[in-house]
Amino acid sequence: MNPVALGLAVASAAGALAVAAALLAPARVRVALVGVLTAVLGAAGMAAGGAALAGHIFTAHVSQLLPLAGVYLAVDALSGVFLSVGGAVVLAASVYGIGYFRHSGHNGHSGGNGRAIQVLWPVFAFSLVLVPAAASVSTLLVAWELMAVSSLLLVVSEHRRSAQVRSAGVWYAVMTHLGLVTILIGLVWLASAARTETFAGIAAAAPGISPVVRGGVFVLVLAGFGSKAGMVPLHAWLPRAHPEAPSPASALMSAAMVNLGVYGLVRVGLDLLGGGSRWWWLLVLLLGSLSAVYGILQASVANDLKRLLAYSTVENLGLILVGVGAAGVFKDSGFPVLAALALAAALLHTMTHAAFKTLLFLGAGSVLHATGTRDLDDLGGLRARMPVTTGLFALGALGAAALPGGAGFPSEWLLLQSLIHGLVVPGVTVVVLLPVAVGAIALSAGLAVAAFVKALGTGFLAKSRTPAAEHAHEPPPAMLAGMGLAALACAGFALVPGLVGPLLGRAVAAAGLGGAGADQAAGRLSALGSTLSPLLVVGGALLLVVLLRVLMRLVARGPRRAAPLWDCGAGPLTPRMEYTATSFAEPLQRVFDNVLAPESDLDVTAYTESAYLVERVAYSRAVPDRVEHRLYTPVIGAVRRAGTASRALANGSVHRYLGYGFASVIVLLLVLAAAQ
Amino acid sequence: MNLLRKIRSVGRVAEPAPAPPALGPGVDGDLAARVRALRGSAQVRCVDAGSCNGCEIEIGQAFSPVYDAERYGARVVASPRHADVLLVTGPVTRNMAGPLRDTYAAASDPKIVVAVGDCAIDGGVFAGGYGVQGVVADVVPVDLHVPGCPPEPAAIVEALRKVTGR
Repeated sequence: MNPVALGLAVASAAGALAVAAALLAPARVRVALVGVLTAVLGAAGMAAGGAALAGHIFTAHVSQLLPLAGVYLAVDALSGVFLSVGGAVVLAASVYGIGYFRHSGHNGHSGGNGRAIQVLWPVFAFSLVLVPAAASVSTLLVAWELMAVSSLLLVVSEHRRSAQVRSAGVWYAVMTHLGLVTILIGLVWLASAARTETFAGIAAAAPGISPVVRGGVFVLVLAGFGSKAGMVPLHAWLPRAHPEAPSPASALMSAAMVNLGVYGLVRVGLDLLGGGSRWWWLLVLLLGSLSAVYGILQASVANDLKRLLAYSTVENLGLILVGVGAAGVFKDSGFPVLAALALAAALLHTMTHAAFKTLLFLGAGSVLHATGTRDLDDLGGLRARMPVTTGLFALGALGAAALPGGAGFPSEWLLLQSLIHGLVVPGVTVVVLLPVAVGAIALSAGLAVAAFVKALGTGFLAKSRTPAAEHAHEPPPAMLAGMGLAALACAGFALVPGLVGPLLGRAVAAAGLGGAGADQAAGRLSALGSTLSPLLVVGGALLLVVLLRVLMRLVARGPRRAAPLWDCGAGPLTPRMEYTATSFAEPLQRVFDNVLAPESDLDVTAYTESAYLVERVAYSRAVPDRVEHRLYTPVIGAVRRAGTASRALANGSVHRYLGYGFASVIVLLLVLAAAQ
Repeated sequence: MNLLRKIRSVGRVAEPAPAPPALGPGVDGDLAARVRALRGSAQVRCVDAGSCNGCEIEIGQAFSPVYDAERYGARVVASPRHADVLLVTGPVTRNMAGPLRDTYAAASDPKIVVAVGDCAIDGGVFAGGYGVQGVVADVVPVDLHVPGCPPEPAAIVEALRKVTGR
């Protein structure tokens, strides 16, 4: 039997069993049972994706499952990348969830072990496996909506906690459904132009479709898939919804779900439409660069740990979109090797980002679980009480900062390399945009270091700034195990990224970049292990540290003496003297003042006796999302005004409504008559 | 090129350094051992324990180009963590007694304390003042004294040369 089919069958069975267990099992064993079964689902999905990457192709048509069309499934190497990433994230998050959901009744949250959450969890996990396996427009749309709705319900599952959760739910619901509508219109338009709805049929018919239709379809699906991938300016839901979901669900959303936006774009743009025009991909490149810089800039001034991570997701997905856009541009310009390399870099970054973002969100969940707060200003000093969590979070932060030794380094390096080599591509727009994209990647990598030094330094190191952080404790073993799985993936990508080279070559070929160019690129990617060996760098650095320790021992004279920390003689050091997240980000905020437009308010109250005696000083600072402020507020206002104005049309009179119906039938008949 | 040749041909034209001063009579063997352990290089941290700032001005002069204590191996550093020698001035006020003790504890071993000025030695004009806790020797063990109100820079350099042994 085909291993992909076997994996998908096991995943479906495990998902069904998990839903049944969530509904029927007693509360005592519910969380453990659902967690284990969903972990099996994830492992099976990962295995199916791995088999697809190893060269097994799977297609199936189940005609009974959906009325009229039936379900078309197909897994090739490109789907395999996203299938295996999604499965792996589900595996780690589900193991983590066994500990998290059982204990999340603390700290004023509603319990995570209720039936609703436990049913939604495997459903969401299964939809993540289903979307990349879909091979027809209707199957994709059904799976996509299943994913959107189940994740939406998970986001609002803690709605009793605060009004913020409800607001995030509304934002997410509206934006994901607007995205679905644009994808729906785009794909249905494409299917009607191709006169078939299966992906294979569309790909065959695509060259015959007029460029106007193809361009229109691409812009529509770019809006839909881009908003799912957190592309600026359609990112507004992401930093709201991801932080408010339960942490394992945040990990699934931020590390697996957003990737499917990229998958959709690559599948439709490169595979089904076969590349199309250059302006499509320049648009993707531009929006990707914008997302990368804007996302990490917001992350570096964010105080909420999970909000910071969510903005970092915007950044990383932006980088992936840069790679996809560059691949499209190179393909259009006739540089297939470069195109394959850029797409491989994007896919590799998808994998590495999933690894470290899972780890970071699960780590943030452990912090939330231990302290009840996500505000970095209220944390600090967790290293002493949560050493394992701190170590794992540090590993993830190293990956997110894209420094050598971290998981994100090989993929960002490959991306940068492919863009720099792309400077040979002719064309004025390309010559201007490519260096801008290189600069955007470099700037975002630099700012990522600042953002994650802040997250780790002010959140975990130094002294505790509040009693909540002072009484933190390590999470239960299941949560540590989940984080450990993600950390293992991080270490793998950081040390031996070359192992995935041949798999990426196959995935790139499946994305419509086949031919001699892809073969050559696949050869390059296979050699990734020998041309890029972070193992040497990391090993060298570790050796240097050991050598220094030995040297210090040898050189040191006299016995060691413990002395109190030097405090300049001004009394004991207190947590109030520490860098907080706000103060750490202040210089950056000052530098990017024009971009971020922070709102700070200083309110000095003087005594009534004299204007020179200050009674109270109140300072508040907020960094609003400027894109949201400038773009969404006017649009929402206009929609609201239009709604208010159109209320005059509906005055409650039945006669008038009948008149509307009659008039529209007449108009429709006239239009049809004119069209004949 | 000419300039380089000139520099090489002229060589050093400074006066020969005076003979290093002896540590003096009445110094116990322990101090001599510590001075030897410094091996001619003394990192100095100044602590103003409550002085009128007169001694600070003279210390500043001792490290100026005219007296240049640095040529004998003494160097002012910014933290007691880096220091071998504490140069303490003034009577020890109540507010500075604790910080002085902390500074002494923070300096690495072996360390030498030099009390600079009359006030540091016996309280000077401030002796018995309401804000004065005592003299430096009451708070930390003192190894060398530089009397004077204020002491001349040459005297301070002399004391530092005893420490560096150069």
